[in-house]
Parts: sequence; C-alpha cells; structure tokens
Amino acid sequence: MSVFRKHKSIVDRAASDRHRHKKKIDKAIKESIKDVVAEESIIGQNGKKKIRIPIRGIKEYRFIFGDNENNKSVGSAGDHKIKKGQKIGQKRARLARGQGAGHGSNEKGDEYYDVEVTLEELAEYLFNDLELPDLEKKQFRFISQKSIKRKGYRFKGIRPRLSKKETIKRKIRRRKIAEKIGTYDPDGEERFPFHRDDLKYHHIKPKIKENSSAVIFFLMDVSGSMSQDRKYLARSFFFLLYQFLNHKYERVEVVFISHSTEANRVDEDDFFKVATHGGTIISSCLNLELEVIEKEFHPNSWNIYTFYCGDGENWTSDNEKSLDLFKKVKDLSQLTGYCEINESYKGLSDEINDDDELGVSSWATFSAWKNEEMENLWAKLNPLCDNKFKKVMVGDTEHIWTAFTAFFGGKVINE
Amino acid sequence: MNDWTTSDLVRWDNKIIRIAENLGLDWHPIDYEIIDYQEMLGAMAYTGLPTHYRHWSYGKEYERTHTLYNMGQTGLPYEMIINSNPSIAYLMRESALHTHILTMAHCVGHSDFFKNNRMFANTNPNNIINSFKSAAKYVKSLIEDPSIGINKVEKILDAAHSIKYQVPRYPGIKYKSHEERLQVEKELMDSTPDYAPDLEKVPLDPEYNVLQFIADHSIHLKEWERNLILIVEESSKYFIPQALTKIMNEGWACTIHYKIINELNLPDNLHLPFIKLHNQVIRPHLGQLNPYHLGYKLFEKIIEDRGFEEAMILREIHNDITFLRCYLTEEFMRDMNYFSYSFKKSRKSITIDDISDDEGWEKVRDELIKNVGLNRIPVIYVDEIEKNNVLSLVHEYDGRDLDISYAKKVYEYIKILWGDEIKLISVVEDEAWEF
Repeated sequence: MSVFRKHKSIVDRAASDRHRHKKKIDKAIKESIKDVVAEESIIGQNGKKKIRIPIRGIKEYRFIFGDNENNKSVGSAGDHKIKKGQKIGQKRARLARGQGAGHGSNEKGDEYYDVEVTLEELAEYLFNDLELPDLEKKQFRFISQKSIKRKGYRFKGIRPRLSKKETIKRKIRRRKIAEKIGTYDPDGEERFPFHRDDLKYHHIKPKIKENSSAVIFFLMDVSGSMSQDRKYLARSFFFLLYQFLNHKYERVEVVFISHSTEANRVDEDDFFKVATHGGTIISSCLNLELEVIEKEFHPNSWNIYTFYCGDGENWTSDNEKSLDLFKKVKDLSQLTGYCEINESYKGLSDEINDDDELGVSSWATFSAWKNEEMENLWAKLNPLCDNKFKKVMVGDTEHIWTAFTAFFGGKVINE
Repeated sequence: MNDWTTSDLVRWDNKIIRIAENLGLDWHPIDYEIIDYQEMLGAMAYTGLPTHYRHWSYGKEYERTHTLYNMGQTGLPYEMIINSNPSIAYLMRESALHTHILTMAHCVGHSDFFKNNRMFANTNPNNIINSFKSAAKYVKSLIEDPSIGINKVEKILDAAHSIKYQVPRYPGIKYKSHEERLQVEKELMDSTPDYAPDLEKVPLDPEYNVLQFIADHSIHLKEWERNLILIVEESSKYFIPQALTKIMNEGWACTIHYKIINELNLPDNLHLPFIKLHNQVIRPHLGQLNPYHLGYKLFEKIIEDRGFEEAMILREIHNDITFLRCYLTEEFMRDMNYFSYSFKKSRKSITIDDISDDEGWEKVRDELIKNVGLNRIPVIYVDEIEKNNVLSLVHEYDGRDLDISYAKKVYEYIKILWGDEIKLISVVEDEAWEF
C-alpha cells in the first residue's frame, strides 16, 4: 500500500532562491534604467505615466546548437497538409521544440521581462536605498505628513480593494493564451470562468513626506561647446535628480538657468533645446541663482539644491569669481552638485587624476573653441568638496546612475 | 471544495495496486505527498527533489512555471515523481479525484520504469534523497561560511551548471583517474608488443566527463570549489538516465495509466473527465514533439503488434535512441505526419526540409533522433592539457554548429573553473573555429 502524507510545510523552500533571482533581475532593471531615463521629459509628466522597461532575463548559458540549417527540428503536423520547402514562420516566431532533457532549459530563448511601471513606482524603486543629505532643520519643515496612496496592484488583498479592471485584463489574457494553445475552444459551449489567480487588488501604501519644500536649480552651460550629445547626458542626469527630489519632498520647484557668457532663466523646453554660441562664464549663472534665491526662495523655508552641468571649461579670467560664487551657493544649498560632461572619461574605475589635464586635452578636440583663455575648473573645485559639495564626471549614459548615487549617500548599486 | 478525501485516495490506490500487480509490474512503493499549488511549484522548481541544494536558477524556474501556469497552461502539474526508493510523488490538493486517480496510476508506471529500465541501474534510489540532502547541507554551510559566502558559491555553481551536461551520456561508464588509465595503458603495452601510446598526454584518451576532469586536474581550485563541482557532477548523473528515456518513460507511464484505468471500471462521472484529461496529455503538439504522445503511440503500436509481454521486455532494455531506431517505422512516421524544419538564413524564414513521404521519412526520422534528449546537447570533450597548462577542449562536430554567443559565455565559465587559459575547437559554417 502506498503512503499518503498531508503535510503543511512551514517554509516556502523556493523563497530564498526566488529572492536571489529577483535581486539579479533588480540589478538588470537598474542597468536598463539608464536607457529609459534619458528619454523622459523632466517635469510636467505626472507620476502616473507608464514606462515600459524591457529587461533581459538572467540567462543560464550552456553549450547549445545554433540556428543553422543543419540544426533541424522535428514536429508533428497533425492533420495539416504540408509540403517540402513550405515556409512556416519567421525567425522571431521560431517554433519551440517540444521535449527537453528533463527540463526545457537547454533552448536558447530571449527571455525578456517586460516591466511596466509608473514614474512614481520607478522613483520608489530607484531611490529607496538613497538618502537625502543630512539636513539642517529648516524653519517650516518640522511636521511630516502621512497620507495613504494607491500604489500598484497585488495578488492578495481585501475584497473592497478588488481591481475589476486588472482582474478582467488577466482573465482575458489567460483566455487568449488558452485559445492559442488549444485548451479552450471559444466557439464551444463551455464558459471560461475566472480563476483565483486572476484576482488583483489595489495596493495602498502610507506615504510619509516631509512637509516641506525644495527648490532645485538646474544650471547648464549652453555655450557652443555643449553639443546635443552632451546636453542629452545632462538631461538624463537632471531627470534623475528631479525625480529623486520630487520623490522625497512634498513640493518641488524647479528653476532652469542656462548660460553662455550670460545667464538666463528659461523654461524646460528652452533649457534643453536652445543652443547659443559664445564663450563660457560660469559665474553668470551663479549670480543669477543667488538673485533668484534672494527674491523668491528664502533659505529658511526652502531646501535648496543646486546642480551644475557643463563641459568643465570656463574662461580663465572668470575662474576665481566662479569659485567664490560656488562657495556662496554651497553655503545656501543643502547640496551642490557639479557635473562635468566629458566623453574621454571612461568610468569610475579610472582613477580621476586631478592633476591630469583631462578636460583640457579633450577640449583640444573642439577646435572651434580652442582658446588659450579657457581653463578647466575640475581640479580647482577640490577645496570646496565635502558632503555638501560634490562633483562627478559623466562620459556616457552608463555613468549617470553611478554619478547620481555619488551625490546621494554614495551608495553604488553593484550587488 | 474537494470531491475527495484521503480515504478515497487509499481506496483507489488499493485497486490500482491490485491491477498493476496483475499486469506483472514491479515498482518501488510510492509515498504520495499531498501538497498545495504553491508547494507544487516549489517541488517542480527543484525537479521534485525535496532535498536539492539551493541556487537562484531554481528560483527562476519557479517564477517561470508560475507565469506559465497563470498564463493559461492550466492543469500544468499533473505528476511529479522521483526516482527513489520509496518513490516520492506529489498530488496537488486542488486537483479533482479523477486527476488523482490518473496521477497515481501514471506514477506506478514511472516507478516501474525506474526500477526496471537498465539505464537506471546505477542510480542508487535507496540513497538518493540522503545524498542530495548532504550536498544541500554542504552548499548551505559554504554559503554561511563568512570567508566564502553566497557570491563565491554562486560563481562556481553558475560556472559548473554551464557544463552540467558535459558528462558521459551512458550509465556505467566509470570515470578513471589518470593513474588508473596509465595502469591500463601499461598493461596493454605489456600484452601488445607494437602498442606505443603517448604516455605524457593528459588525458590519455578524450575525456567526456569535463566536470570531473576539471575537478581532478585544475591546479587552482580550492577544496570546497572542487567539492561543489563534484556535487554538480553527481546530480547530473542522477538526471542523465531520465533525459535518456524521457519518451519511453512518459510513454510507458501513459500506457500503464490507461490500462489500469480501463480496468478500474470507473463510474461515468469519473471516467469521462479521465478520458478528456488523458487525451489532453497525449495529444500531439503542432510543430513539436510531445514525448507523451510519441511514447504512448509507440507502445500502443508495439502492444497491438506484439503483445504486452514484449512491451515489458522493451521497457527494460531500451533507451529513447535505440527505441526510436527500432520502432519508428515508415507507417508510424506517416501516421504522425512528422516533418523536419530549419531556419534558412538565405530566405530569412523557417522552412520545411522533409516530410514523412516515400523519400523523406528516413531523413525525418534521423533528424528526430538527433533531437531526442541528450542528442540535443553538443558533445564536448577534453582533448589535452597543453603547454602552460592550457586546457584544450574539442566540440565533437556532427554537422550542427554551436551557438557562438552561448559558447562564448560557457567558454568564460570554464575558464573560471580551470583557472588558466583554455581553448575550444569547433567547426562553424564549415570552417575550423577556435575560441
């Protein structure tokens, strides 16, 4: 006689392996995000906008045969009439081969996870590990507020929070697939009932926000040497910064100041699109920022963040003044960030050598603006650097995330 | 919700056992674990083994199965049985009684196959659960060892998993250490005057057990790394016989469950859903090979032509490859309407190469056999350790090219295990290729 055991396992034995797998996926998501953030317009997007992020699955590589003509597959055609030489599909829709060596994992297959997230979720996902710099108390930022917000969907929940829309979507999806693989006949008598796994519930989450406001100053060099590519990088970077601060503060104001030899306060569109010619005087935009702070954003009630993006070049005659102003701005701001866009920078693994004329040598390639009077600011900013003033270098989209994390807590996601 | 109680299962199980005994089957006793859907997914992720070591790929497998199930491949986990003594099988709490009856009868078929088919002769079913358990414990202890930790363990396991099928394909091939081989060669030289092999070469003959060879001969591996590789090798040995007999094993189990259930005289309310389920399991999949379908149909034909006694003998002596070679007849190929297809680069499409007609059926059959079980996995062997400790591996080319992008990744993995440079020789688009 056989033995029957009804056992209730206490532990979910796959839990730790699933967790480990999820961590790998998370890492993959973070790596793909750099491609996504660069495409989004900075503000004016409401948090509900959905972003689709394709993520490569974590593959297990083995020796397998490739898609070459000698590697034939065999299948059954059932009642279908077939003939030699008949085309039966495209490469992408390659028919899956049926049986496996115990497991189907020997087949090559592009494993894509398509994750659809809202900007809000994305921000949460990205920023939960990061902290605002240790802030001094602002006058009006003592009270923190707790609110409850709907946030995504879950498989478990209480009835009143059942999301009919998501539930029916899942059922439809399941039915379509069942039709495709032939386990359900749409013309038949049988109905296609809901399954317990179709049910999805709204998820709610308490949200604690500092009842406070922040103002972000985005300063950018738009002089002739800032090419579209460089602006693109700056834009991705600003996007992350904006999303992060917006995530952490109740209210966020953004001021865009662009400059060449003189500074202008502009709107977002102009900030990224309008190109000017002329030289570079960084102090101009810092002056303007100080003016704006004076008039509109009193440091007692506003958390001020200043981020500067440029190619690092400045007119030599302006350097001293710029340094002075940077210092003033730093004293008023929670955090001041200085970002140099420099294509010759290859990543953090390259030790940034302050004495090296890194910027200058790359500058030489921009012959149009080659000018004896230009000088790189990077090394000169060293005395300012502490936890309220940080500088980063970005050479490619892949540096953006690392640079960003260097600003906030410096935690670099490499796990 | 359920239409059954455990005593129903016991009652039907007794009847099933009686019929199976009358059929002359001989199987390990079966322990049925009644589990819920979540636990079933867990069991499936670890190929049923309750004591498998942990690795993220099983978490991935869990998620994959879960998604498939959610996406409408309903009724996915019918049966899951382990080649152990007693055999462990799982019944899903949510399933209806007719599913359980079918599953139990099906499991008797599998267990009978495990116990009798000669491919399983060395699998050691009495001990398998314990040996997996001690492996799992060992892996756990390494993960928890502060000087090692999960990242280092994963590095080795990821790499070893990439060549887990690069082990001998037939049971009973015993791995010989270099010293043992030298001994054999020397004896041969003594008895055969003209025989003069190169005794400097390591390995003396091509070595197909790449995992064990690396574990034995790498000069960089630490003790625990070596042990991990051997754990992977050990578990491969357990799975190889199953990969070798997937079609026969499923075909036999389906044949048995069908036979048993027809003798059970089920009442209509159980019999009709059973027929439906049975037909779903053994239906052909368009454009694919359903091992349940192929195996079932072959045994059906054999029993029809030669009787059940003969089938009992075949289930002992064959594996999928020999079985198909012997019994895939032209008539059968035509009935199943099998065809072969491949991707044509020039036409950027998948095209039918041959169909089962007068001239094509043999080609289709040969391709079919090439696609069975381990034949779908390229054969790689260790040729030699060359100067500067370069490990030279050769792909045994059979006309099918390796997938280069995958091979490159595996190449990197083997390098991690070997610790020095390696070399991989193959043929790509009719030209010699070396990594």
